Amino acid sequence: MQRIYYIIRKEFKQIFRTREMIAIIFVAPLIQMLVLGFAITNEVKHVKLIIADRDNSFASREIVRGFQNTDRFDFLGYMNSNSGIKDAIQGWEAQMAIVIPTEFGHDLQRNLRPEIQLIVDGVDGNTAGVALGYAQGIVRQFSQNYLNHPLRRINFKRIHLVQQEERMWYNVNLDTAQHMVPGIVVVLITLISMMLSAMNIVREKELGTLEQLMVTPIKKHQLLLGKLIPFLVLTFIELAIVMKLAQIIFSINMEGSLFLLFSLAFLFLFTTLGLGIFVSTITQSQQQAMFVSWFLMVFMILMSGLFIPIENMPMSLKLLTYLNPMRYFMYIMRDIFQKGSSIQYLLKDVIPMTLYGLIIFTFGVLKFQKRVS
Amino acid sequence: MLAIARKEFLHIIHDPRSLMIIFAMPIIQLVIFGYALDMEIKNVDLAVINYDNSIQSQHLVEQFEGSEFFNVFVYNGGIDDMEQLFLERKAKAVLIINQDFAQSFQRNISTPVQIIIDAADPNAGTLIKNYCSQVINAFNQKYASQPALPSEVESTIWFNPDMKSAFFFVPGLLALLLIMICALLTSITITREKEMGTMEQILVSPVKANEIIIGKVLPYIGISILVGALILVIGIILFGVPFNGSYTLLFLLSTLYIITALSLGLMISTIASTQQVAMMIALIATLLPTMFLSGFIFPLSAMPKILQIISYIIPARYYLMIVRGVLIKGNTFFQLIQPTLILALMTFLLLIIALRRFKGNLET
Repeated sequence: MQRIYYIIRKEFKQIFRTREMIAIIFVAPLIQMLVLGFAITNEVKHVKLIIADRDNSFASREIVRGFQNTDRFDFLGYMNSNSGIKDAIQGWEAQMAIVIPTEFGHDLQRNLRPEIQLIVDGVDGNTAGVALGYAQGIVRQFSQNYLNHPLRRINFKRIHLVQQEERMWYNVNLDTAQHMVPGIVVVLITLISMMLSAMNIVREKELGTLEQLMVTPIKKHQLLLGKLIPFLVLTFIELAIVMKLAQIIFSINMEGSLFLLFSLAFLFLFTTLGLGIFVSTITQSQQQAMFVSWFLMVFMILMSGLFIPIENMPMSLKLLTYLNPMRYFMYIMRDIFQKGSSIQYLLKDVIPMTLYGLIIFTFGVLKFQKRVS
Repeated sequence: MLAIARKEFLHIIHDPRSLMIIFAMPIIQLVIFGYALDMEIKNVDLAVINYDNSIQSQHLVEQFEGSEFFNVFVYNGGIDDMEQLFLERKAKAVLIINQDFAQSFQRNISTPVQIIIDAADPNAGTLIKNYCSQVINAFNQKYASQPALPSEVESTIWFNPDMKSAFFFVPGLLALLLIMICALLTSITITREKEMGTMEQILVSPVKANEIIIGKVLPYIGISILVGALILVIGIILFGVPFNGSYTLLFLLSTLYIITALSLGLMISTIASTQQVAMMIALIATLLPTMFLSGFIFPLSAMPKILQIISYIIPARYYLMIVRGVLIKGNTFFQLIQPTLILALMTFLLLIIALRRFKGNLET
């Protein structure tokens, strides 16, 4: 017991000796959370827009006004020629162009269903898709207003419509941060626990101090415990800080039980610390360790559903996500935060995650022993 | 200088695992991004609670069943237990048809149907909502003689008419991987010498500081050019990404970006004292902003002002514009003069500061 304690004390001393390390453990996650929490949004504003109004009628000006009265679009000016539009979009000056054809107003009145053309720069996919959606919405609004105008009002007696009334559960304000920030917390604790523990163990190897530790009477499990407990503690402190910050900065609601969350985080950390040990056994230098764990991180993040919902993936990739321990904790974290799920609904994630953790952890420990002896 | 380059090169070759990862990583990312990053959701699980067993309500359900967006199933549990569906993640949305649906539909101008959507992920929630209105609109046009809108909209997406995700990700990955190899790896390899004390050994040898730096980074320049070419070739062959501009232009401007990244790496190595620190700084100063503040995945325009301002000093922001411009838009140098100048200025400043700091470090 006392030996473990000494190693733990040594580790803490070592961690806190470098001033940068403290900054890394406590400031870096804050920066990451701030950047990610605010940056991950699919909203689009100030799309640079040019309009070719070739009709210049009352109706066409009405449409132009619709685009001017929103901060979604920045109306740069009129550009009637096709070549001018092409130059503007290719030369990065405009992102979108709207072409209102000649005789638009006339055709509208004669019920010829004139066609408005929306041209969008497709190099930035997200912006293009979202901006197109906004623009279509504005044109649709114009059409709706046109239909509902008292002079043209159609006979509503014959019409019986079904009206959609939607309720957005769990996120009434459609606030992206409520969904993303719990996910980012998962990434942060994985990063800290896996990368730092792997690099820390390899560092002893690289500097040759691991051999010195081996000739001391410390047993392997004592050595490992002494190495891992500090990172476990650090990760939990980190988790607490990050969650508090999330509540303050992003006003994230926590619907579920904090106790449940921390208990399940403990189970999850078996996986990440186990991976950390595993990585340390297959690498010789910190550079390698960092590289291998970074590789694992990228794979785990991409396949966790953090950015790309797992439901959207093709079947083959969907199956692949079951191999990803982060997938399970991502669901758990988000469900506890957003839906307040209790353990009974999470068992289908908790069980594979725990099994996973035990297997990886045992495997890592066994592999480590072989190396040491 | 060449001797140092050779030593560094041997050091890299000596470690085939890392080398493999350097080349495997972009391929895996490319494949995942290329295939998985489909923002369109299909087969949304939709539960139906139908209290009105009329032909009309049946028609409505059929309309949903006929849509490719939804996976419709009947839920017999009733409204009170419906939350179970969301908690067990069995449904993303629930359609509730009231008892008097058919009656009301025949009598009234408008008849409400309720759709409860799991909006925990607001993007998915909004998409599902829009899909539902599309289906209901189609239903109304078919059964409720709703008049069609008086004008039509034709949308054209230039440069990427099919909205293939590879078109966005190949340029983004290029920017990301180059920064990762050049900034992250070089900063760690230089810090490593410091940490191991071998830097001092090099110092007592008659090699000049500039030679040390050039020798150390040369192999990484080689690797990054290879990886960059690999990404481009895979993107073009496997995912049909076009190459509309000039090869020379892209090569020259990529070299500029590589120098930017190397200067960043050098800078980091002068700040960090251990490899762990170097790695963390590199992650925060290069990878994170390259992924999130360059416009690679998430649009910059709706971010808070402060992040937008920060994005102006992120090299990847300009490089991304250059790669997208050359590859996809077929831009000429003249059209890219602005991002090129900014990138060049940035590199110049970074390089000077980093070199000064590096030499200062050596002398003390």
